[in-house]
Amino acid sequence: MKHKFLVFFAMFFASLALFIWQAPQVHADKTYTIGTDVTFPPFVYANSNNKYVGIDMELIRSIAKEEGFKVNIKPLGFNAAVQSLSSGQIDGVIAGMTITNERKQTLDFSTPYYESGIVMAVAKNSKISNLKDLKGKTVAVKTGTQGATYANSIKNKYGFKVVTFDDSDNVYNDVKTGNSAACFDDSAVLNYGVKTGLGLKIVTKPTDIGQYGFAVKKGQNQKLLKMFNAGLAKLKKNGKYDQIIKKYTGKKATSKTNKSNSEDRTFLGLLKQNGQAITNGIVETLKLTVVSIICATIFGILIGLLGVLPNKFARGLSTTIVYIFRGLPLLVLALFIYNGIPSLTGTKIPAFVAGIITLTLNEGAYTAAFVKGGIEAVDSGQMEAARSLGLPFGKAMRKVILPQGIRIMIPSFINQFIITLKDTSILSIIGILELTQTGKIIIARNLEGFKVWAIIAIIYLVIITVLTLLSNWIERRING
Amino acid sequence: MTNLKVDVTNLNKNYGDNHVLKGIDFKVASNEVVVLIGPSGSGKSTLLRCLNRLEEPTSGSIIIDGQDISNSKTNIDKARENIGMVFQHFNLFNNLTVGQNVELAPTELGKISKDKAAQQAKKLLATVGLADKYNAKPQSLSGGQKQRVAIARALAMNPDIMLFDEPTSALDPEMVGDVLEVMKKLAKNGMTMVVVTHEMGFAKEMADRVVFMADGVVVEEGTPEEVFDHPQNDRTQAFLEKVINV
Repeated sequence: MKHKFLVFFAMFFASLALFIWQAPQVHADKTYTIGTDVTFPPFVYANSNNKYVGIDMELIRSIAKEEGFKVNIKPLGFNAAVQSLSSGQIDGVIAGMTITNERKQTLDFSTPYYESGIVMAVAKNSKISNLKDLKGKTVAVKTGTQGATYANSIKNKYGFKVVTFDDSDNVYNDVKTGNSAACFDDSAVLNYGVKTGLGLKIVTKPTDIGQYGFAVKKGQNQKLLKMFNAGLAKLKKNGKYDQIIKKYTGKKATSKTNKSNSEDRTFLGLLKQNGQAITNGIVETLKLTVVSIICATIFGILIGLLGVLPNKFARGLSTTIVYIFRGLPLLVLALFIYNGIPSLTGTKIPAFVAGIITLTLNEGAYTAAFVKGGIEAVDSGQMEAARSLGLPFGKAMRKVILPQGIRIMIPSFINQFIITLKDTSILSIIGILELTQTGKIIIARNLEGFKVWAIIAIIYLVIITVLTLLSNWIERRING
Repeated sequence: MTNLKVDVTNLNKNYGDNHVLKGIDFKVASNEVVVLIGPSGSGKSTLLRCLNRLEEPTSGSIIIDGQDISNSKTNIDKARENIGMVFQHFNLFNNLTVGQNVELAPTELGKISKDKAAQQAKKLLATVGLADKYNAKPQSLSGGQKQRVAIARALAMNPDIMLFDEPTSALDPEMVGDVLEVMKKLAKNGMTMVVVTHEMGFAKEMADRVVFMADGVVVEEGTPEEVFDHPQNDRTQAFLEKVINV
């Protein structure tokens, strides 16, 4: 029994490793994976058909067409995109990224494709009109942006505090609600926002002029970089470049915006417009949940059983695994697996696989803990009686201990399934387009934070209710 | 001595600094009924549990049916098939019915077919007076009934020797008699038995030999008459006075 068990254990990891090994082969010669941040209109955002559009998207697609390569766009968020680039998970980043000397240490930039400055925006009814008014106030910025760098560089001089958010939407909302007195962002971004009815006004002239560039990891993908530069030059020459810029920053963009403002912004309207995106998000969340629950349950039971074997080494291994993966915050684990490991080994891990591994290890550790606890909760006399009859450890475990232990574990299993479902939302950090990430992207476009999050929250509750009912039904069947 | 069933020599058991068994020599002949008595903490249960290695001895040798139980190379599962054990707290398998409790080990270990096992279980349950409980769940039984099922379960493996670890201590007084009756029947049929008990009546009536233990050593042993009526040792006398007065 013990041997069979160890073989099964080894096979589980071998197949997991194989899975990881096989998956990256998908990216073959001519397709490049490009990371971006789809909450950055007018450079990158998802339109109401959930297509990624904006200056950056049109540029990269047009250049790809000119130069004859394909792109696979990954909506990772700015931070994750840059991290994924340096860990080799993706080939390039185009996300309205300003070329800085600091970034040049680790990245190679294309020739600049856009020039923008930092402006300050305040709430429509605010009396703040220049930097001096910010004394003692709080200023909101988005992490990793040039606006954030600028704000931090002058905060001591003007005596304000800086709060950072991951999404533009949160930055603007913080200013609107009055928590923050102002925000700093690229002028093109804020201009676009104001036109879309953001409820903010711009009060300063662009300063700290910066240039946007497409980036690859330093020393890598030089061919891609060359093609980008060549393609960009061609687009500038044939007028396509100006056309794109005008489309997103000119008058036309505003009129298009007006139309979008007349969109139905009721709950039902929002659901209708984003139905497809939300459905895709639900499917992805369900896929993550189901696969993770299966993997984490198998992994957890194996590790839990390892923890009750009459073998010191096995028990030590089990305790260590539980200690490590229960101790690590899920977010850290996700980033470590998705960005950390590939930068060490050079092997790409697809976000979905990284997500599954993350949840398997984390939820599996919790599962292992209660599996072990459940088995140990069975009266030790049961094992003694079984062994005294001549039943070997494995048989005694299977026939007598586990059937009783599992009953003790069932409520914990149901609990863990629900936690797993909720924890899939954390995987939005590595750019998986599940329900939470879908919500972020929709809000980046329409800025309907309250309504969209309410919809997302209700969907989670519905799924959790179904999952709970299903689990209870299974529990009754087992106990019945 | 060809008919020696149990031969324990210089058995020691330590729990850390706690020396529970101090060089025990202990023998049981075939068909013999040996009753172990003594104050709690004297080591009698530990000795019993060493006999089927539910407790690992620290040192010493335990030979049962010519097989060295204390040797780690011995297939202990195989050896245990011939050593039945009955526990103070019954330890019936709570996830199984009474019948399944009795059938589990013989079928799982490939001793007999499922049908045969069921027949045997019904027969054994009849001999302990519980023929009607075949389909019952252990939870629905009284303590005395549980213990009789536990005896039937141990007998299903057809053991050569039966170990009883305070089989009546957890029972209500009115249940004790039924269990003792079953044990007496076994003894009369020639089962080799080692019984740890506080039932002095059973010891007097059924024991071929009574062993009095205290502080991890065998203080005195002999026939029931010798130990109960003419105890030689002060500690035996003191113990018996207390127990019999109760």
